Amino acid sequence: MVSESQVQNKDEPALHIEGLSMRFETRRVLKQIDLQLPAGQSLCLCGANGAGKSTLLRIIAGLLHPSAGKVRVQGYDLREKPQEAKPLIGVISHKSMLYPELTVEENLTFTAQLYGVKDSRDRVKQLLHDTRLYGYRFDRTEILSRGMLQRLAICRALVHNPCILLADEPFTGLDLPSSQHLVAVLHKFHQAGGAIIMTTHDTHYGLECCERIAVLDQAELIFDAPVDQIDRIRFLDDYLTYARQNY
Amino acid sequence: MNSLYHGIKAIFVKDLVLELRAKEVLPSMVVLGMLIVLVLRLVSQVGDLNLGAMGVGALWIAFLFAALLAQERSFAAEQHQDCINGLLLAPIDAGAIYLAKLLVNIVMLGIFEVIIVPLVILAFDLNLAGGFGRLILVLLLGNLAISSVGTLFSAMVQVSRVRGSLLSILVFAILLPMMVPATFALLITFGINPDDMAGTGMVALTGNFRTAVGFLVAFDAIFITASWLLFGFVVQE
Amino acid sequence: MRRYFLCLSLILLVGAAWLALSVGQVDEVVRNIVYFHVPSSISALSCFTLILICSIGFLASKKSAWDYLATAAAEVGLVCATILNITGMIFSHQQWGVWWTPEPKLITSAILWFLYVAYLILRSGIATARRRGQLCAVFGIIAFIDVPLVFISARVTRGNHPGNVGFASGGQWAAFGLNILAVALLSAMLIWLRYDILKGKSQMEQQLFS
Repeated sequence: MVSESQVQNKDEPALHIEGLSMRFETRRVLKQIDLQLPAGQSLCLCGANGAGKSTLLRIIAGLLHPSAGKVRVQGYDLREKPQEAKPLIGVISHKSMLYPELTVEENLTFTAQLYGVKDSRDRVKQLLHDTRLYGYRFDRTEILSRGMLQRLAICRALVHNPCILLADEPFTGLDLPSSQHLVAVLHKFHQAGGAIIMTTHDTHYGLECCERIAVLDQAELIFDAPVDQIDRIRFLDDYLTYARQNY
Repeated sequence: MNSLYHGIKAIFVKDLVLELRAKEVLPSMVVLGMLIVLVLRLVSQVGDLNLGAMGVGALWIAFLFAALLAQERSFAAEQHQDCINGLLLAPIDAGAIYLAKLLVNIVMLGIFEVIIVPLVILAFDLNLAGGFGRLILVLLLGNLAISSVGTLFSAMVQVSRVRGSLLSILVFAILLPMMVPATFALLITFGINPDDMAGTGMVALTGNFRTAVGFLVAFDAIFITASWLLFGFVVQE
Repeated sequence: MRRYFLCLSLILLVGAAWLALSVGQVDEVVRNIVYFHVPSSISALSCFTLILICSIGFLASKKSAWDYLATAAAEVGLVCATILNITGMIFSHQQWGVWWTPEPKLITSAILWFLYVAYLILRSGIATARRRGQLCAVFGIIAFIDVPLVFISARVTRGNHPGNVGFASGGQWAAFGLNILAVALLSAMLIWLRYDILKGKSQMEQQLFS
């Protein structure tokens, strides 16, 4: 699904966040976040509700302007060079961003055209085959089940061959087969050299899909370590205790 | 530049497909327009009013209400499943999104004009004295004005709880200045010369077709530019 | 501090009214309404300009202080615009027998009122403070562009609004000037008060809900 071509500059980190702060009125939502994601690495971001995870992801996606700090995607500053940086980012969220009255194929073709994808027809065809949605290509998205919709949303996120995938609570509302399919897709994307940042409440999915795990608490990054260097069971235990205290 | 064109084209085609596929927008616009024309024709008969002037008034009122119907829908579709964010994630300028939506609204209103204008001419027994070219010009300029302001405001009211009514209030309030020259120009096009509408006060605009059209052109240019520049603030956070 | 200015403005207003009706009285009694009509007009237009400045300020800096100031200006401006239109209508009825006529200045006054109302209705319909500030700022700028266009377009129609105000005696000028000052001061104080209330309310809400 993912070709190597988008990962242009292997030397540059996929994502570089420097001194990122965000405040809404007088409330500090993010405080001096520094984060570097090397090309091809996957990161799981955990934290309580209101910790700032979604806000951080929206800033990285370019949907929100931070109060301070810089975001660089493969070396391109998101604010100063959005035309170069945005095509490198793909987003999956719990909202599908799909038009209900357009067909499966039309939705993907539209997204491909939006990103200026060359040979969009072939690309869309290939993606639909990969996710076993080719048979539904003439169906309007309003009739698709939640699982199929999620698969299509994933196609939508990957149609322009991004180098980094942002997944905001992607497992919300998915049944077991759909969740497993999503895990498989994320693995495949990662193996092809793509970087991933995922936010989730479901820490064991996070540990399963990602190489690195970080915890955001009260606007700050309080924990950041590679998954293979931590004791998973102890981490889950500690996280559960922390979650109970904070909810 | 190339990507700008592709982005605008993609959104334009997508929106046009959505609008025409919905099959409820254009018919409701036309039916509403026809009803307005009917009511005003009846009123002018009962009150023995100047048919020509009433006809022109009916035309603009029908345009305004029909346009509001179409414009409200144009951004409502983007609210579903966060589609507007889908557009903002792409490497397109917010201004490009505005231009694409503007073009769609112009086309929809244009189709409506093609249907309703002959009906008004028939109902109010209007005579195309000024020529077909003048008619097209005035209708186009009026279309641009209504579409430019309406596109911006329909994006604005999506966050509000009272979308439809708020859109009408905002649009009518802002569009008032163009109603006078537009009516004026259309009256002249239909051969009704408002002689006693000479200018007043110090620097008077002597009412003639050219000044009215000039004003409309200026209005359109100002509002399209302002809306295009400010659109980013409306959709982005 | 503000209390003193408020009292001062009220005293000035009363003083100006007394001056207007005694020394500065214009021939026909009803014409004295000009002493309130013109200052309200100046105030209404100034508040509108203030909204423009605040809108640009908010879009540039995203600081909510600009938003509070714009709201305060809109509320006070609406009051001024209401007085403007009502006094205009009273005068029009007395002078020409019609309550209202589509004449450039009258149309502009009416539209000004509608734009204020539209601004406030837009405000009340949006829940999030940030979005509210942004959208109202955009509307504020568009509305400001609109006002001169209304005036120019309405020039095509004929009208009978009196020309520039001219006074005979010094007493009349004094009353006029004093009224302008009084209304301007009162408006400024009310805007300042309202701004503080809005700011305080927002801070309280943040403390309660965060």
